[in-house]
Formats: sequence, C-alpha cells, structure tokens
Amino acid sequence: MDRSTMSHSLMSRFRPLFSLGYVVSRGLRGMAQAPVVQLLAVSTMAVCMLLLGVVMLVWSNAQGIVHAWGLDVPVTVYLVDHAEPAAVDLMVERIGALPEVTRVERVSSEQALERLAEGLGEDGALVEGLDPAVLPPSLEIELAPGIDPDFGHVLAEGLAEQPMVEEVAVAGAWAGRAHDLLRTLEDLALGAGLLVSLACMAIVWSTIRLGVYARRAELQILRLVGGTDRFVHGPFVFEGMVQGALGAGLALGILWVGFDAAAPFLERGLSLLFAGGALRFFSPQELAIGVALGAGLGLLGARAAVGRYAEV
Amino acid sequence: MAIIELSDVTMTYGRGPAAPPGDAQRRAARKDERRAALREVSVAVEEGAFAVLMGPSGAGKSTLLKLVLAMERPDEGTIRVAGRDIHRLRRSSIPYLRRNVGAVFQDFKLLSDASPLENVALALQVLGMPPGEVRRRAASALSQVELDPDAHRPARCLSGGEQQRVAIARALAGEPAILLADEPTGNLDPRLTREILDLLARVRERGTTVLLATHDPLVLDHPALTQQIHLEHGRLVSLHQATRAYGRCEDEDGIPAILPAAWPEPAGAVA
Ligand SMILES: Nc1ncnc2c1ncn2[C@@H]1O[C@H](COP(=O)(O)OP(=O)(O)OP(=O)(O)O)[C@@H](O)[C@H]1O
Ligand SMILES: [Mg+2]
Repeated sequence: MDRSTMSHSLMSRFRPLFSLGYVVSRGLRGMAQAPVVQLLAVSTMAVCMLLLGVVMLVWSNAQGIVHAWGLDVPVTVYLVDHAEPAAVDLMVERIGALPEVTRVERVSSEQALERLAEGLGEDGALVEGLDPAVLPPSLEIELAPGIDPDFGHVLAEGLAEQPMVEEVAVAGAWAGRAHDLLRTLEDLALGAGLLVSLACMAIVWSTIRLGVYARRAELQILRLVGGTDRFVHGPFVFEGMVQGALGAGLALGILWVGFDAAAPFLERGLSLLFAGGALRFFSPQELAIGVALGAGLGLLGARAAVGRYAEV
Repeated sequence: MAIIELSDVTMTYGRGPAAPPGDAQRRAARKDERRAALREVSVAVEEGAFAVLMGPSGAGKSTLLKLVLAMERPDEGTIRVAGRDIHRLRRSSIPYLRRNVGAVFQDFKLLSDASPLENVALALQVLGMPPGEVRRRAASALSQVELDPDAHRPARCLSGGEQQRVAIARALAGEPAILLADEPTGNLDPRLTREILDLLARVRERGTTVLLATHDPLVLDHPALTQQIHLEHGRLVSLHQATRAYGRCEDEDGIPAILPAAWPEPAGAVA
C-alpha cells in the first residue's frame, strides 16, 4: 500500500520528464524519417546565418579597431598632474551641460596605463611596472552626432586656456568617418539580423508544416488517445529547435574555418589598422548565444507552424 | 447514475457555421438541406453498464460514439459524460476527457508503420507513464487480445482481425472509465468474437462502462449485456434494459469510483 502510493506520487512527479522523453525521441525519429528535408533546411539556414555572421564579425572587429585608435573619443582633455579635484568636478559638470556633448568620462592615470597595456596586446608586458603617473589623467568627451564639425576645435581651444588643462587632443574628421562607418555596419548588422531571422523562421515553418501534413494521420491518432497540444506538437517544436541550432552551428563552424584561413592574410595586409592587436573571432559565449539564437528562431518558426489550425 | 447521457441530440455532418440563434427560419432551412445523422436522440448509459448500440449501416452509431469523444459537435442538444457537458469543455480539457474514454474505432486508427506494441504504448505515453511501465502494460494488454507483444511487424502488415485486436488493446491499456467500441468484432471469426466479448465483459466487471456499437445480431446473445440501444436513420427506435445481468451493477459498492477526478474544470463553462 505504502509502496504503491509512493511509486504513484513519484511517477506523477516525473510525468513531464517521461513526456519529454517521448517528445525528444519522436522528434529525432521524425527528423530521421526525412533526412533530405532536414539537410536542405539546415544548410539553407546555415547559408543565411553565415551572411549574418560575416557582418557581425566585421562590425565587431571594426569596433575594436576604432577603439584601439581612440577614434571613438573625439576630444580628449589631458589634465595637469595635480589638478584641483573640485575644479575638475566643476569643469566636468560645465562641459557635460553643453548641448553638443553627450558624455564626459574621467580617466585616471591608472586607467590610462591599463588601457595602454590592453591596446598593446601581446606586448602589454612592456608597460608592466611602469609608474602610472607618467600618463596624465584625462577627460574624454563624446560629441553628439550631426553638430557643426568645427565644434570640437572650438571647444578644444576654449578648454586649452583653462589652468588645469595640459593639452587638448581632437580626433578630427577621421573620428567622424569612423563613426559613420561603425553606424553603417551597425545598421547593416541589424538589417541582416532581421532578414536572416525572418528567413530562418520561414524555412523552419515550411519544413515543419510539411512534416505536420505528412504525419497528419498520426497527429489525429495522438489527439484521439488523449494527447495534449504539448504532447502532439512537442516533437515538431523540438525538431525546429534542433534545425535552428544545427543551422547556426554549421554557419559558425564554416565561419570559423574561413576566419582561420583568412585572418593571417588580413592581419598582415592591414597591419597598420590593427595597432598591435589581432583580428578577433567570436568568444565562446558569443558562439553559444549564436547557437541558442538559432534554436530560438527554430522554436518560433516551429511554434507558428503547429499553430491551432495547422492540423487538418 | 448515468455516465453517458445524450439529451435531444441532433447532429448533421458538413454543417456550415451555425446560424445566429435568433434566426429560426434560416436554421430550419439549413436543417432541411442536409439529412441529420442523428435526430433528437436521448439516451443514457448507466455507470458500469455493458451497453450495445444496434442499428443498420448508416444508422448513426459511429456518429453517436464520435460525439461522446468530442470528435464532432452536435447541432443541438447536450452530451454529458460523467455529469459534464463535454461540448462546453475548453479545447485544452478535451485530452483529459479522451484519456478517460478508451475507444476502438471502426477504421482502427493505428499508426501503420508502428508495431502493435508501439501502437498500444502510445495511449500510455500520453499519460506520462515511465517507459518500463508503458512496456509492461502494453505487453499485457496485447496478451489479453491474444497477440504476441514481441512481434515487430508494422500494423499495416497485420490482418484486419489482428489490427482490430491491436486497437482493442490500445483502448484498454490505459484502464479508462469508459470504453467505446465501434464494431470491435467486425473483422473477427465467431470464436474470436466470443473471446473479445468475454474480454469486454471482464473489463466491465473491473468497473469500466462499455458501450459497443455493432450491426451484428450475434452480439446480442452475450449474457453480460445490460442495455440495448437501437438506432435507425439517426433516430432512437428502442431502449432496452436487460434486467438479468443488471443486478450486479446496482450494487454501488462493487463499482470503483470511476468519475475522473483529474479533469480540469472548464473556467466559466459550468452551467
Ligand atoms: N464524415 C462524414 N461526413 C459526412 N457524412 C457522414 C460522415 N460520417 C458519416 N456520415 C453520414 O452520417 C450517417 C450516419 O453514419 P454513421 O457512420 O454514424 O453510421 P453507422 O451506424 O456507424 O454505420 P455503419 O454500421 O456502416 O458503420 C450516414 O448517413 C453517413 O453517410
Ligand atoms: Mg459505423
């Protein structure tokens, strides 16, 4: 009696798990039943995602280059060694209040040294043990887009007269162009992301829809023996997720192989641009996010395909 | 207590969207357009009964069973199963109704590429049973209908009678409160027919209410029958309670509680 009640409650606790077991095995079996369809879906998705991957990679590297060159900071104000903190505070406040300025950031000597070490990449060890005081503290000023191109210089001239200011550096027209380039790449990545997402969902949607149609007799039977929506649709949703994840995985794999082959040439050819740094590939976390996004798109496409009126 | 109760049920296939309730004239016109498969049928099957639904081909037997499974909707009238108006259930509650109503379909509705065991297992997998338990119960259900649980031939390679028995095993495996059997002996020889009827009688003794549809008058000879329902042209022509075997069912204590407690109560659907 005790044993049977116990095993009964145990069983009901694991019920979702057992259903999940069915969903996974049925989903995999369904994929194996139509391998050509799967192959087509996964490879088409991989091509789409490859496109997105290239754009993202270019964007991320361009960002790195712009940052390494300091082009992302149009105006840098180097302060004298022992500037009065209260006076600096006041200056930060006044600069920040200008409508053309979007951001003012204080960079201490220590932070500056850290950045230098970072920027040198593998050669970063060179600056180890260096006294931070050799690098002056500074203020980094970002300007709003679309303002008068001369504003940076006007501001710099004004600031240079201040007693606690040692020197003012203006990145100039280059900075604006770098920003435009980055913004264009960003828009491109966003657009590609949107298009690729839609395309991937459409691919999953259509393959799943075909599967639902091919297996409609089975679905009717599952309904008649008391299968819930989750039970009936689960294998298809799982299939869509696997397709999406495989598509993303394949795309990233191809991208990696391509990157590995091309990076040395690019780095040599464009060495001037890289200022000692190297081209970067996606980090493991970013790769994982990519695969998860693929699975997510597959899930959405499959969910749409098994919607309420999919079964006939 | 009646476990299945139809009141004034009329059902027409291929009906368009229902006419607005106020528009009596259009409703009447619609009804004349097509012949109803069931007309104003009122019938109750008692809990624990072994009822048989008789009638010539096209009388509406399968239609009645489909209504009880919520596979079709009535034009008019209500169908109550275990006291619940099943056509007012939410869509998401229908699976729970069907888990409590095992069904043998006239066209079997088996997975044609799956083995008998896999077919029977399906009805247990939807319940979320552990795989070992599924295997054990499915094998035992197949043995009950004299089929080899270890046979791996897909269902489409089985004879009509074998397929029919797989369908019966699947309907019984989950030990449902109600068993609907549409011509379950249609493809069987007299010996197997008798065996299956005996099996259904045993199932009924365990507490399952059995409703069997057939046009085979031989079935009427089975001693365990408690109720006969006769349909013709979609109309109820006679309702006959057999008293000889019914005594056993009036003993309330002998019948396990089969009202499925697990049905989610439909929100706002309770009259
Ligand atoms: N899916 C359907 N679409 C349209 N009409 C149908 C459908 N199924 C049954 N009918 C019609 O409904 C009526 C009743 O059919 P039903 O299948 O209930 O009869 P039955 O008593 O089960 O007959 P049988 O003994 O031949 O199985 C028949 O006139 C039939 O033509
Ligand atoms: Mg029939």
